[in-house]
Amino acid sequence: MRALNSLQAERTSRTLVRAATWTLRSVGSRVGLAAGALTIVLVGAVSAQHRISLSGDIQAKISYCKDCHGVSAQGFNGYYPIPRLAGQQPEYIENQLRAFIEHRRTNNIMFNVAHSLSPAMINALTAHFASLNPPPIGGAPRRLVATGRKIFEDGMPEVNIAACAACHGPEATGSGQIPRLAGQLYPYMLKTLNNWDKERGRNPTVPDAAAIMSPVAHSLNRSQIEAVAAFVSTLRPPRGTPNTVQ
Amino acid sequence: MKPMNFRRPQGQHRSTFRSPAGTALILPAAVLALSFSSPAAAQGNVPKAEADAKLRYCEVCHGVSAQGFHGYYPIPRLAGQPTEYLKNQLQAFVEHRRTSNIMFNVGHVLSPAMIDALTTDFNQLNPKPLGGAPKENIDEGKNIFENGVAAGNVPACASCHGPQAKGNGPFPRLAGQLYDYITAKLTNWEKERGQNPAQPDISAVMQPIAHSLTQPQIKAVAAYLSYLE
Repeated sequence: MRALNSLQAERTSRTLVRAATWTLRSVGSRVGLAAGALTIVLVGAVSAQHRISLSGDIQAKISYCKDCHGVSAQGFNGYYPIPRLAGQQPEYIENQLRAFIEHRRTNNIMFNVAHSLSPAMINALTAHFASLNPPPIGGAPRRLVATGRKIFEDGMPEVNIAACAACHGPEATGSGQIPRLAGQLYPYMLKTLNNWDKERGRNPTVPDAAAIMSPVAHSLNRSQIEAVAAFVSTLRPPRGTPNTVQ
Repeated sequence: MKPMNFRRPQGQHRSTFRSPAGTALILPAAVLALSFSSPAAAQGNVPKAEADAKLRYCEVCHGVSAQGFHGYYPIPRLAGQPTEYLKNQLQAFVEHRRTSNIMFNVGHVLSPAMIDALTTDFNQLNPKPLGGAPKENIDEGKNIFENGVAAGNVPACASCHGPQAKGNGPFPRLAGQLYDYITAKLTNWEKERGQNPAQPDISAVMQPIAHSLTQPQIKAVAAYLSYLE
């Protein structure tokens, strides 16, 4: 530190001002080394080191999630259909992680995954997943897609089936706590819609937005669920589809 | 204030073409109606189970007490809305005066009797506003709503929507309406309403007013209304 301090003494005041605002990304060059050391002095060694270790942790945690959710988080057919997280709404993922912890969704594996995540880690993960947009993994029966599109966009007003697009958006990108469905796995969609009341809203002491979908899931019959699932599983909206909600 | 358990008497036909000649003509009128329209409409009411199922369907998107909901779009509050306003808007979707694919599909399958039942039910609901709007300009919004902006040629909103923003006839209730819904409508009035030139409608009344309001004024009014019970 004494040597670094004497090095700093040779720098102009301009360099000092710039150095104070630099992040640890500038470590590497000799100037950067001084800047990095100064930054540590100015912002505190502990928080700077914490940032480094969090960034390493984030990469490790992302890889860990992708072990099951697919290398680009596009979803994966493991023993269970493991849902696509790519392009998912951050608020939705955060709410679902909390749902596992609060037993609103009952899943031993995801309970264990979720309850070790810090809020900062959850922010980092949800931002990362939201930024991804790999192609859907596909595999749904193509012949159902046209019927599914009709149900998704228009609903079936004669039999009181609401249009999915009203809440999930015309391109199924979701909004806030309402999930993106575009590219979601066909079997995951089937499992979730066919068993809604067993899949979601499982903790009566913590009622949640899943209650909104309950009557909708009930109003759909099996072949309608298959059609909608097939349609959304093929969708690939452009990255960053604008959300019209202000 | 109507009592909350008010229900339209069974069998009463709310047609605006109802004979003024008195009860003696109602039966022949109903028989005549039967020959021109579907049995459900001619009955003048719908089975309670059917109306309730349709109400639940509406509330999937408009909120469990019709207080409005933030889906992909802001989905408006229907609770406490005047029946005449709701009927006119449903017709507006069917006639493409308002363009919404979803609401067109919803609207065009509803029988007149079902529309009577639904609009009566929505009119009687009175849940708390959904809230969530920024609160810093509420006082300014209240002032604009009650007094208008004379310098900007904006009339007082209260003169048509009522001092408590409860609406009246074709004028909508605004009390408790979603902040972002009001903001979106007032900002884009000409793209939102009066979309069918062949069918000019009352939305034309709002057009110059929406134009006169600045964006900060729109947001202030919308914030005030969104908290109004």
